[in-house]
Amino acid sequence: MDMPHETALQLLARKLNLHHRLSDLDRQAILELPHKIRRLEAQSYILREGDRPDRCAVLLQGYAFRHKLTGEGARQILAINIPGEALDFQNLFLEEADHNVQMLSRGITADVPREAIEALIAEHSEVGKAILITTLVEASIFREWVVNIGQRDSRSRIAHLLCEFAYRVNAQELHTGAIYELPITQEQLADATGLTPVHVNRVLQALQREGLIERDRRMIRFPSWERMRDVADFNPRYLHTADLS
Amino acid sequence: MTETSSLGALFRRWKRRLPLSAADEAAVTNLNWARKQYQRDAYLAREGEHVTVCTVLLQGFAYRQKILSDGSRQIISFHIPGEFLDLQNCLLEVADHNVQALTRCLVAVVSKELLLQVMSDRPAVRQAIWLDSLLDASVFREWVVNVGRRDARQRIAHLLCELALRLKAAGLGEGPLFDFPLTQEQIADATGLTAVHTNRTLQALRRAGLINLTASKLTILDWDALAEAGDFSERYLHHSV
Repeated sequence: MDMPHETALQLLARKLNLHHRLSDLDRQAILELPHKIRRLEAQSYILREGDRPDRCAVLLQGYAFRHKLTGEGARQILAINIPGEALDFQNLFLEEADHNVQMLSRGITADVPREAIEALIAEHSEVGKAILITTLVEASIFREWVVNIGQRDSRSRIAHLLCEFAYRVNAQELHTGAIYELPITQEQLADATGLTPVHVNRVLQALQREGLIERDRRMIRFPSWERMRDVADFNPRYLHTADLS
Repeated sequence: MTETSSLGALFRRWKRRLPLSAADEAAVTNLNWARKQYQRDAYLAREGEHVTVCTVLLQGFAYRQKILSDGSRQIISFHIPGEFLDLQNCLLEVADHNVQALTRCLVAVVSKELLLQVMSDRPAVRQAIWLDSLLDASVFREWVVNVGRRDARQRIAHLLCELALRLKAAGLGEGPLFDFPLTQEQIADATGLTAVHTNRTLQALRRAGLINLTASKLTILDWDALAEAGDFSERYLHHSV
């Protein structure tokens, strides 16, 4: 898990460049951002609701999730983040975090001071655009989650979340029946879909019986991506990977 | 140009959050805006379209929604004058949802290239637009919580609290009375409930003396009780930013 310090932000530069073509100079500016590497255990908090964030964590390894607690203490997961994604861009320019960010698995982050990101945006306008695009795509994913929980039945809802995760982690291999690590417990899956863990368990078993998914502990595989996509009512348009300039 | 057909509401909203100079305001005003009118229920944008403009709502109300392959509809936000309806279009190519007029609407439309240009020329404008997009996202997150983890009564009370607070912040009513013409069907589609369930829940809120809702007006009779019923905390609206 060792990572040379100077290349730590390569993954972020690559992700941003996917969203918006960057010059060598822009990419260099990203790599040169001051940062501190942090190793985190599963469940550790990156950010808590009400915090005033002074740094922005970039996820280098492992998975993280965003969530909120209701007044009654029920938890709703809002998003899952994968390596290369910045966890605090949503809080740039906002004073107070309106949700929690927590590690889903063990992982590593590079923490960049917030002022350094703000300076980068001010001095490198194309990097600023790329960062804004990533936050806009995240917002689109939040919208789709409103739809997913608001309108889809439990079967499509869970299938949709599984499709989204697979697509974001590796869109190229969807049709090959590749095996994925699904770093999320049934309880977390329930909190991400507004269901109970018992209900989630029943649905996963049904999807398995129908041959739509194969599971072995944390590994999952879709024998037929097309069938899974149809059950999920999944259209990747909202991920905006096809229409990026 | 009269006040309600200008970008005044947009600037007032921005200036509540950050300093905007007269030159910033002029630069935005002088972009080549086109005014457009829409009838109630008309579509301003459709999912899948390639969009080349961004739109500010000047008069009336609008909402964003998505339609699933089985035809069911989920409303994902409501909008009031002075708000962008589709800020994401400045940098994303294809619309990922529909925008529809809740009432008759007047909007101002500008090409996304011009908007991006003024954002690179003027840091305050860039920050204002950036903030708008982050606030949108915060509201979407809260709606995920609302449909995911609140019961019918909480969901509807929460939605009404949000609308009242945003209208009030925009100077569109001091309360308890708000001119906001929301149908029960729209409330149902915004909260992921059935029409019947929505109707029953609204009646219960009315009987409890919390609200009154007619075809064109929302009256909040007991704010504290409604906020409590809706598990409502205004942090996600970032009104203090």
